[in-house]
Amino acid sequence: MARKRKKPTELPAELPLTPMIDVVFQLLIYFIVTIKPIDIFAHLEVSRPSPEDRKERAEIPNLIRVNIFKEGYTFNDRPVTTTELERLLSRAASLDKTQHLLIMASSASEHSQLIAVLDLCAKYELTKLSVISTN
Amino acid sequence: MKRKLEDAPMNMTPMIDVVFQLIIFFITAIDMQRRDLDLQLKLAMAPHGKPVTTRNPLTIYVDVDQQGRISIGGVRMTTDYLYVVLRKAVNEFGQRNVPVVIRGDMKTSHEDIRKVMDACSRAGLFTVLFAAIQEKA
Repeated sequence: MARKRKKPTELPAELPLTPMIDVVFQLLIYFIVTIKPIDIFAHLEVSRPSPEDRKERAEIPNLIRVNIFKEGYTFNDRPVTTTELERLLSRAASLDKTQHLLIMASSASEHSQLIAVLDLCAKYELTKLSVISTN
Repeated sequence: MKRKLEDAPMNMTPMIDVVFQLIIFFITAIDMQRRDLDLQLKLAMAPHGKPVTTRNPLTIYVDVDQQGRISIGGVRMTTDYLYVVLRKAVNEFGQRNVPVVIRGDMKTSHEDIRKVMDACSRAGLFTVLFAAIQEKA
Protein backbone atom coordinates (compact mmCIF):
# COMPACT_ATOMS: atom_id res chain seq x y z
CA MET A 1 0.00 0.00 0.00
CA ALA A 2 1.64 3.07 -1.25
CA ARG A 3 0.80 6.02 0.85
CA LYS A 4 1.57 9.31 -0.68
CA ARG A 5 1.17 12.05 1.80
CA LYS A 6 1.39 15.63 0.88
CA LYS A 7 3.18 17.79 3.27
CA PRO A 8 0.65 20.17 4.75
CA THR A 9 3.17 22.98 5.09
CA GLU A 10 3.65 23.30 1.38
CA LEU A 11 1.90 26.32 -0.02
CA PRO A 12 1.94 27.49 -3.64
CA ALA A 13 5.42 28.70 -4.18
CA GLU A 14 4.71 32.03 -5.84
CA LEU A 15 1.95 34.56 -5.81
CA PRO A 16 0.38 34.85 -9.26
CA LEU A 17 1.45 38.32 -10.33
CA THR A 18 -0.31 38.60 -13.66
CA PRO A 19 -3.86 39.43 -12.46
CA MET A 20 -2.47 41.87 -9.93
CA ILE A 21 -0.54 43.75 -12.58
CA ASP A 22 -3.66 43.76 -14.74
CA VAL A 23 -5.65 45.40 -11.96
CA VAL A 24 -2.92 47.92 -11.24
CA PHE A 25 -2.83 48.94 -14.88
CA GLN A 26 -6.59 49.30 -14.94
CA LEU A 27 -6.47 51.57 -11.92
CA LEU A 28 -3.61 53.58 -13.37
CA ILE A 29 -5.43 54.11 -16.65
CA TYR A 30 -8.63 55.04 -14.82
CA PHE A 31 -6.93 57.73 -12.76
CA ILE A 32 -4.88 59.11 -15.63
CA VAL A 33 -8.05 59.52 -17.66
CA THR A 34 -10.15 61.06 -14.91
CA ILE A 35 -7.64 63.40 -13.30
CA LYS A 36 -7.99 67.01 -14.40
CA PRO A 37 -5.15 69.40 -13.76
CA ILE A 38 -6.19 72.28 -11.52
CA ASP A 39 -5.86 75.92 -12.48
CA ILE A 40 -3.53 78.17 -10.56
CA PHE A 41 -5.49 80.80 -8.71
CA ALA A 42 -4.58 84.34 -7.89
CA HIS A 43 -6.01 86.45 -5.12
CA LEU A 44 -6.19 90.19 -5.73
CA GLU A 45 -6.32 92.14 -2.54
CA VAL A 46 -8.23 95.38 -2.26
CA SER A 47 -9.44 97.48 0.59
CA ARG A 48 -13.00 98.53 0.90
CA PRO A 49 -13.14 101.86 2.67
CA SER A 50 -16.11 102.31 4.93
CA PRO A 51 -18.41 105.24 4.16
CA GLU A 52 -17.10 107.08 7.24
CA ASP A 53 -13.70 107.34 5.60
CA ARG A 54 -15.02 109.67 2.96
CA LYS A 55 -13.53 112.73 4.58
CA GLU A 56 -10.21 111.04 5.01
CA ARG A 57 -10.20 110.02 1.38
CA ALA A 58 -10.55 113.58 0.17
CA GLU A 59 -7.36 114.45 1.98
CA ILE A 60 -5.15 112.00 0.13
CA PRO A 61 -3.22 114.02 -2.42
CA ASN A 62 -2.86 112.89 -6.03
CA LEU A 63 -5.52 110.27 -5.70
CA ILE A 64 -6.02 108.51 -8.99
CA ARG A 65 -9.61 107.73 -9.77
CA VAL A 66 -10.38 104.91 -12.15
CA ASN A 67 -14.01 104.50 -13.06
CA ILE A 68 -15.36 101.30 -14.49
CA PHE A 69 -18.48 101.53 -16.60
CA LYS A 70 -20.10 98.85 -18.64
CA GLU A 71 -18.94 100.68 -21.75
CA GLY A 72 -15.35 101.23 -20.67
CA TYR A 73 -12.99 102.95 -18.30
CA THR A 74 -12.20 106.49 -17.30
CA PHE A 75 -8.93 107.63 -15.76
CA ASN A 76 -9.39 110.74 -13.61
CA ASP A 77 -12.71 111.33 -15.36
CA ARG A 78 -11.20 111.07 -18.83
CA PRO A 79 -12.46 108.19 -20.98
CA VAL A 80 -9.63 105.85 -21.89
CA THR A 81 -9.20 102.57 -23.73
CA THR A 82 -7.69 99.54 -22.05
CA THR A 83 -4.26 100.12 -23.61
CA GLU A 84 -4.31 103.78 -22.61
CA LEU A 85 -5.30 102.81 -19.08
CA GLU A 86 -2.42 100.38 -18.94
CA ARG A 87 0.01 103.03 -20.15
CA LEU A 88 -1.25 105.58 -17.61
CA LEU A 89 -1.05 103.07 -14.77
CA SER A 90 2.47 102.07 -15.71
CA ARG A 91 3.48 105.72 -15.75
CA ALA A 92 1.87 106.31 -12.38
CA ALA A 93 3.62 103.24 -10.98
CA SER A 94 6.99 104.33 -12.33
CA LEU A 95 6.62 107.59 -10.40
CA ASP A 96 5.34 106.16 -7.15
CA LYS A 97 4.35 102.61 -6.32
CA THR A 98 2.61 103.70 -3.14
CA GLN A 99 0.23 105.80 -5.18
CA HIS A 100 -3.34 105.52 -3.91
CA LEU A 101 -5.85 104.30 -6.43
CA LEU A 102 -9.56 104.64 -6.06
CA ILE A 103 -11.39 102.23 -8.29
CA MET A 104 -15.03 103.08 -8.71
CA ALA A 105 -17.05 100.34 -10.29
CA SER A 106 -20.55 101.08 -11.51
CA SER A 107 -23.30 98.63 -10.67
CA ALA A 108 -23.85 97.68 -14.28
CA SER A 109 -20.21 96.83 -14.98
CA GLU A 110 -19.10 93.23 -15.19
CA HIS A 111 -16.93 91.62 -12.55
CA SER A 112 -14.36 90.69 -15.19
CA GLN A 113 -13.75 94.39 -15.87
CA LEU A 114 -12.91 94.99 -12.22
CA ILE A 115 -10.59 91.98 -12.26
CA ALA A 116 -8.94 93.33 -15.41
CA VAL A 117 -8.16 96.65 -13.72
CA LEU A 118 -6.93 94.92 -10.56
CA ASP A 119 -4.76 92.70 -12.72
CA LEU A 120 -3.16 95.73 -14.36
CA CYS A 121 -2.51 97.19 -10.90
CA ALA A 122 -0.92 93.92 -9.84
CA LYS A 123 1.21 93.97 -12.97
CA TYR A 124 2.65 97.39 -12.09
CA GLU A 125 2.77 96.55 -8.38
CA LEU A 126 0.34 99.21 -7.30
CA THR A 127 -0.94 97.97 -3.96
CA LYS A 128 -2.84 100.85 -2.39
CA LEU A 129 -6.15 100.02 -3.96
CA SER A 130 -9.61 100.90 -2.78
CA VAL A 131 -12.74 99.71 -4.48
CA ILE A 132 -16.00 101.51 -4.11
CA SER A 133 -19.26 100.98 -5.89
CA THR A 134 -21.22 103.65 -7.68
CA ASN A 135 -24.60 103.64 -9.31
CA MET B 1 8.44 17.61 14.39
CA LYS B 2 9.34 21.23 14.76
CA ARG B 3 8.51 23.63 12.00
CA LYS B 4 10.96 26.32 11.32
CA LEU B 5 9.49 29.76 11.41
CA GLU B 6 11.12 30.95 8.20
CA ASP B 7 9.38 28.29 6.22
CA ALA B 8 5.96 29.84 6.59
CA PRO B 9 5.43 32.04 3.55
CA MET B 10 3.63 35.31 4.19
CA ASN B 11 0.19 35.60 2.71
CA MET B 12 0.39 38.65 0.48
CA THR B 13 -3.18 38.82 -0.77
CA PRO B 14 -4.88 40.58 2.19
CA MET B 15 -2.00 43.01 2.46
CA ILE B 16 -2.32 44.00 -1.18
CA ASP B 17 -6.06 44.36 -0.72
CA VAL B 18 -5.55 46.78 2.13
CA VAL B 19 -2.94 48.77 0.21
CA PHE B 20 -5.35 49.19 -2.69
CA GLN B 21 -8.09 50.30 -0.37
CA LEU B 22 -5.79 52.93 1.10
CA ILE B 23 -4.70 54.17 -2.31
CA ILE B 24 -8.29 54.54 -3.47
CA PHE B 25 -9.27 56.29 -0.25
CA PHE B 26 -6.52 58.88 -0.53
CA ILE B 27 -7.07 59.54 -4.21
CA THR B 28 -10.77 60.19 -3.71
CA ALA B 29 -10.13 62.31 -0.60
CA ILE B 30 -7.71 64.54 -2.53
CA ASP B 31 -10.27 64.87 -5.28
CA MET B 32 -12.93 65.99 -2.82
CA GLN B 33 -10.69 68.72 -1.49
CA ARG B 34 -10.46 70.40 -4.85
CA ARG B 35 -14.13 69.87 -5.58
CA ASP B 36 -14.96 72.68 -3.16
CA LEU B 37 -14.69 75.14 -6.01
CA ASP B 38 -18.04 75.35 -7.66
CA LEU B 39 -17.33 74.11 -11.14
CA GLN B 40 -20.10 76.23 -12.60
CA LEU B 41 -18.15 79.39 -11.88
CA LYS B 42 -15.98 80.78 -14.63
CA LEU B 43 -13.43 83.02 -13.01
CA ALA B 44 -11.80 85.88 -14.86
CA MET B 45 -8.16 85.70 -15.85
CA ALA B 46 -5.53 87.68 -13.98
CA PRO B 47 -2.17 86.62 -15.44
CA HIS B 48 -0.23 89.14 -13.35
CA GLY B 49 -1.79 88.39 -10.00
CA LYS B 50 0.15 86.75 -7.23
CA PRO B 51 -0.44 83.01 -7.37
CA VAL B 52 -1.96 81.43 -4.31
CA THR B 53 0.43 79.02 -2.67
CA THR B 54 -0.64 78.74 0.93
CA ARG B 55 -4.05 77.98 2.26
CA ASN B 56 -5.28 79.70 5.37
CA PRO B 57 -7.86 77.45 7.00
CA LEU B 58 -9.80 80.47 8.25
CA THR B 59 -10.39 81.79 4.74
CA ILE B 60 -14.03 82.21 3.83
CA TYR B 61 -14.73 81.65 0.16
CA VAL B 62 -17.85 83.44 -0.97
CA ASP B 63 -19.06 82.31 -4.38
CA VAL B 64 -21.20 84.59 -6.52
CA ASP B 65 -22.59 83.07 -9.67
CA GLN B 66 -23.68 84.72 -12.89
CA GLN B 67 -27.18 85.37 -11.58
CA GLY B 68 -25.78 86.95 -8.43
CA ARG B 69 -26.64 84.08 -6.11
CA ILE B 70 -24.38 83.97 -3.09
CA SER B 71 -23.13 80.72 -1.62
CA ILE B 72 -20.43 79.46 0.70
CA GLY B 73 -19.31 75.90 0.15
CA GLY B 74 -22.36 75.21 -2.01
CA VAL B 75 -24.82 76.55 0.57
CA ARG B 76 -26.99 79.25 -0.94
CA MET B 77 -27.63 82.23 1.31
CA THR B 78 -29.01 85.74 1.46
CA THR B 79 -26.87 88.79 2.16
CA ASP B 80 -28.28 88.99 5.68
CA TYR B 81 -27.29 85.44 6.39
CA LEU B 82 -23.86 86.07 4.87
CA TYR B 83 -23.50 89.01 7.22
CA VAL B 84 -24.32 86.77 10.19
CA VAL B 85 -21.73 84.22 9.08
CA LEU B 86 -19.03 86.88 8.62
CA ARG B 87 -19.92 88.59 11.87
CA LYS B 88 -19.58 85.33 13.75
CA ALA B 89 -16.17 84.68 12.19
CA VAL B 90 -15.04 88.21 13.08
CA ASN B 91 -16.22 87.81 16.67
CA GLU B 92 -14.43 84.53 16.98
CA PHE B 93 -11.11 85.24 15.30
CA GLY B 94 -10.80 89.02 15.09
CA GLN B 95 -11.07 91.47 12.23
CA ARG B 96 -7.58 91.06 10.90
CA ASN B 97 -7.56 87.29 10.87
CA VAL B 98 -10.48 86.48 8.63
CA PRO B 99 -9.51 86.58 4.97
CA VAL B 100 -12.53 86.75 2.70
CA VAL B 101 -12.12 85.62 -0.87
CA ILE B 102 -14.87 86.59 -3.29
CA ARG B 103 -15.10 84.18 -6.18
CA GLY B 104 -17.28 85.91 -8.69
CA ASP B 105 -18.14 84.63 -12.11
CA MET B 106 -16.64 86.84 -14.79
CA LYS B 107 -20.09 87.72 -16.10
CA THR B 108 -21.50 88.66 -12.71
CA SER B 109 -22.62 92.25 -12.57
CA HIS B 110 -20.78 94.43 -10.09
CA GLU B 111 -24.05 95.11 -8.31
CA ASP B 112 -24.05 91.57 -6.93
CA ILE B 113 -20.38 91.71 -5.95
CA ARG B 114 -21.13 94.95 -4.20
CA LYS B 115 -23.73 93.26 -2.00
CA VAL B 116 -21.07 90.82 -0.80
CA MET B 117 -18.56 93.62 -0.22
CA ASP B 118 -21.18 95.60 1.70
CA ALA B 119 -21.86 92.60 3.92
CA CYS B 120 -18.10 92.36 4.54
CA SER B 121 -17.85 96.04 5.48
CA ARG B 122 -20.85 95.74 7.78
CA ALA B 123 -19.16 92.83 9.51
CA GLY B 124 -16.03 94.93 9.93
CA LEU B 125 -13.96 93.36 7.18
CA PHE B 126 -12.46 96.14 5.13
CA THR B 127 -10.06 94.06 3.11
CA VAL B 128 -11.34 91.55 0.63
CA LEU B 129 -9.65 89.37 -1.94
CA PHE B 130 -10.93 88.65 -5.40
CA ALA B 131 -10.21 85.24 -6.83
CA ALA B 132 -9.06 84.96 -10.41
CA ILE B 133 -7.24 82.43 -12.49
CA GLN B 134 -3.57 83.17 -12.80
CA GLU B 135 -2.75 80.35 -15.15
CA LYS B 136 -5.05 77.90 -16.79
CA ALA B 137 -3.91 74.32 -16.41
